[in-house]
Amino acid sequence: MKKTGIVFFPAFDWSLGETHPEREERLLYTQEQIFEEGVMDLPQIKQYSPAVANMQDVLRTQAVFPSPKHHELDAHLIAVGCSLVLGKALMAQEITNGFVLVRPPGHHSATVVWGNRGFCTLNNEAILANYLRTYYGVKKIAIIDTDVHHGDGTQDIFYYDPNVLCISIHQDGRTLYPGTGFCEEKGGPNSWGTIVNIPLSPGTGDEGFLYALEKWALPAVEEFKPDIIINSAGQDNHFTDPLASMNVTARGYGKITEMIRPDLAVLEGGYSIQGALPYVNLAILLALAGEDYSRVKEPQKISRRVLHGEPVRSYIDNLHKYFQQIKPNWRYVQGQSKHLPAGKWVSVEKEIFYDTEMFREQRQDLIRECQHCGGTVFINTRNQATMEKAMLVKIPFEACPACEQAGYDLVEHYKKSAQTLLLQNQLHNQVLFWEKSKEVNLFASEN
Amino acid sequence: MSIRIGIDVGGTYTDAVLIRSGQVRQTGKVLTKPDQLLDTVLEALDSLNIASEISPKHEVESITVSTTLVTNAILQKQLPEVELILLPGSGMKLTSLSWPVPYHVLSGELDYRGRQIAALDKQELQDLTETIINKHLENKQKNEKTLAVVSGKFSHRNYILEQQLAAYLQKKISELSMALGSEWGQSNFYRRSLTAYLNLAAQDLFTDFRDGLIKAVRARGLQAPVKILKANGGMQPAENIRPVESIYSGPAASLLGTLAQSNPEHTYIVVDIGGTTTDIGLVLSGKPLLSSRGAHIGDFLTNVHSLAVQSIAVGGDSVVLPTEGEQAAVEGKENKNFSLASYRLGPAYCLGGSKPTTTDALRYLGLVDFGDYARAEEAMSLLLPEGKRETPYFREIAQNILDLMVEKIAEAIGILVKQWRDEPAYKVWQVLNPRADYKFPIKLSGGGAYGLAAALAQRMNATVTLTDHAMVVNAVGAAMAKPTFSWTLNLDTSLKRYRIEETGEQGEWRGSLRPHREVEQFLKTLASKQAKDMGLDEYRLEMEPFDYFPLIEGYRTVGQIVRGRVHLPPGAFQLQDYGPSS
Repeated sequence: MKKTGIVFFPAFDWSLGETHPEREERLLYTQEQIFEEGVMDLPQIKQYSPAVANMQDVLRTQAVFPSPKHHELDAHLIAVGCSLVLGKALMAQEITNGFVLVRPPGHHSATVVWGNRGFCTLNNEAILANYLRTYYGVKKIAIIDTDVHHGDGTQDIFYYDPNVLCISIHQDGRTLYPGTGFCEEKGGPNSWGTIVNIPLSPGTGDEGFLYALEKWALPAVEEFKPDIIINSAGQDNHFTDPLASMNVTARGYGKITEMIRPDLAVLEGGYSIQGALPYVNLAILLALAGEDYSRVKEPQKISRRVLHGEPVRSYIDNLHKYFQQIKPNWRYVQGQSKHLPAGKWVSVEKEIFYDTEMFREQRQDLIRECQHCGGTVFINTRNQATMEKAMLVKIPFEACPACEQAGYDLVEHYKKSAQTLLLQNQLHNQVLFWEKSKEVNLFASEN
Repeated sequence: MSIRIGIDVGGTYTDAVLIRSGQVRQTGKVLTKPDQLLDTVLEALDSLNIASEISPKHEVESITVSTTLVTNAILQKQLPEVELILLPGSGMKLTSLSWPVPYHVLSGELDYRGRQIAALDKQELQDLTETIINKHLENKQKNEKTLAVVSGKFSHRNYILEQQLAAYLQKKISELSMALGSEWGQSNFYRRSLTAYLNLAAQDLFTDFRDGLIKAVRARGLQAPVKILKANGGMQPAENIRPVESIYSGPAASLLGTLAQSNPEHTYIVVDIGGTTTDIGLVLSGKPLLSSRGAHIGDFLTNVHSLAVQSIAVGGDSVVLPTEGEQAAVEGKENKNFSLASYRLGPAYCLGGSKPTTTDALRYLGLVDFGDYARAEEAMSLLLPEGKRETPYFREIAQNILDLMVEKIAEAIGILVKQWRDEPAYKVWQVLNPRADYKFPIKLSGGGAYGLAAALAQRMNATVTLTDHAMVVNAVGAAMAKPTFSWTLNLDTSLKRYRIEETGEQGEWRGSLRPHREVEQFLKTLASKQAKDMGLDEYRLEMEPFDYFPLIEGYRTVGQIVRGRVHLPPGAFQLQDYGPSS
């Protein structure tokens, strides 16, 4: 029998503040709804218990600076751990798909973590994806983000990675946090086209969303041929969401799930905790379990204006055409810098805003252009509030010998001088950390 | 000190014990007559010489019965039909879950906080009334009552729609016997509906049994309260127990029987080997583990709290079948030239029975000392093909039978421990404090259980000890069971409504919007009073940590949802020599 796994972790004793949207109450009614319906008694539903992720699994994917001990990570580590629980169950073929129904969310959390962004500190899906690649040899993964906010953190983590397709369908960034997620953001020098952003106009409902999915997102997935599909299942496209302006219904979310057919869905945002979450979560879960969700109905009616018909379709079509003809324009590091290993390096500079604690991060990413692999990435980052600096060297999965060596050369050169340096050696499942030129074992308490 | 009497109705035998001053003074054993359970219980009671124990200093304090009455009636589908009227509202399709009984569907809907979304429909009410009146007339001719259960989704948050519907029907059909799903005030809708159904269906059967029992006890000059053991291992006065809560009390009794003879602080696994089933349970620091979901009986999923007991179809009287023939009846092929049947055909061969059983293997190996050795050997030879009927093969097959029994028990222990460790958790602190990897010692009880002790100890690499009074451990459990009950509160201060899950009580909250201490006291007072009314000891009331959910509307706190629970946890009074006695 096909089984649908679920980890339900509402973190009833954790919040970002008493009246914060990310509070204890957020999944309370979802629990009431799902339990009362008897979903857990469906023969194909298998409930798993939550678990805590370890730091090795986090740091393989994210650089937590200045060091993990500076952050409150307990609840976030459990949300990650829950994702891994279902990842393992999927790979062990105990389940055919699964829903990680947990808080806190993660998709705004990026390659470098100096703090909480958009309610996220650790990126559940990204850590999950790299876990599956590390321990199960999964080659290609597609992450489809259906949260109303641009999945900027996930995009950032896989921006230079050709083996992870990141598609984010969201409300246009000119009208909503985090203000990114435009068509022009299409990936790095070795991964151009593996980032797909579909910004929709405020007011788009089921029709437009499903149209964008059918005509744009799903064909991209088809072409990419992923081994595994992960859905960042945010629920704030719902017409009752207080932070956004879209008009998707609970049944629309059921249909979205049915069309994406994710191997694993992970809850992201969604802050209409009474009007939407109980119904949207139910619809997603039923769709995953292959049950009829057509009777799931939120009591409220849509009161906002819904974009529909020809205008919304042609808007999406035109955007898609524009997307297809966008070409990259790289800025190469000029001349042969003393400390950069041989090869052509592309430089990307960005500034990232941490809205929860209100500070900025300054970043320079250097990517080794490579015909053979994802290319080693060297990141210099500075927390503009504390002026702390840190460096990250990432040797990618399936790195070619030249990129691998480039990574080691960078580490050799900087480990003595960097305030903080992290090596993510994804090729050999190795995470090393230097603080004030001394190597530190961050995993002493872990086995 | 006073006298406690316990009677346990088992599938094969019914056991009785009399315990005075914490000591087992008398035991009795009679054959169970499945069609005459009341007679069986009284026969077991009469097998004790109660009069000889009574004195001015020693009076009978309680008579507790663990009975299979309702379990059997459900499993053998002997209960009368109930008109099941459902208010499922929107959401998951009703047929996504399989309903073992027919039902009527009406509109009318509540949301997860018990707020009304849609009212009942007049026309539908009239149509339903007509249908039920016709049914009622049919039933009347057959001299049968008409029973109806009304059950709505989210009625555990508000019983308003159920009450409206029930009141309407009652007015039209005054003779209708009715019950509401909200009387079983826990999630979920499906289980609540079926639990209410079974309970109403079993009501008359149970009432007859109870009244007959009390009458017969009084006729014997005993004034002690008569109590019934529940699936969760607690007992309650027969007058106020709900019939369906008496299912699966047998496995609970065996756990309590061991508990009564163990250090009340200890952690261990209980293995009780009966005639055809072995029950395996878990005791943690003296507290039996409750199942996180309600009991499953026949085709019904219920809300009935039960102990987390793994029951497997292996026992001392389990028939051993040679692989050839009779395959259809065999549960699973063991590929060892024999298999264990899930049934019993009389006593073991070595005790004069007609078929080889697991006990014959134990006897042949010299692990038990009852039964005839020569017949045990003959039993082994019956399992072997001609040409292999000689000593080394007898030993081999007997050893294989023993190994298979032990393996099945080990497997069930593994499942139970895993269940306990993998129980869902919904809070950060629970996940950060995971359940430790215990090495559980094992306590073994049941007829020939001691024959398995060494093999089980070796297989589990654990200490195995034999429980005293192993032959009547269930009756000891019934006698020494403590009363249990729980009061689970769900309070929504913004809607000013509270409900108690176990009793279905619903009321208006007059306290503050954010009531911390106040609500704890409220629940404690309510529980103490009701415990007293029910004849339960209130001094053992335990309070669990409450959960408080601030309700926010637009960054403003408008109230709280509070979940809390006080309870009398299940447990057993200790026999003397095992701790403080009752």
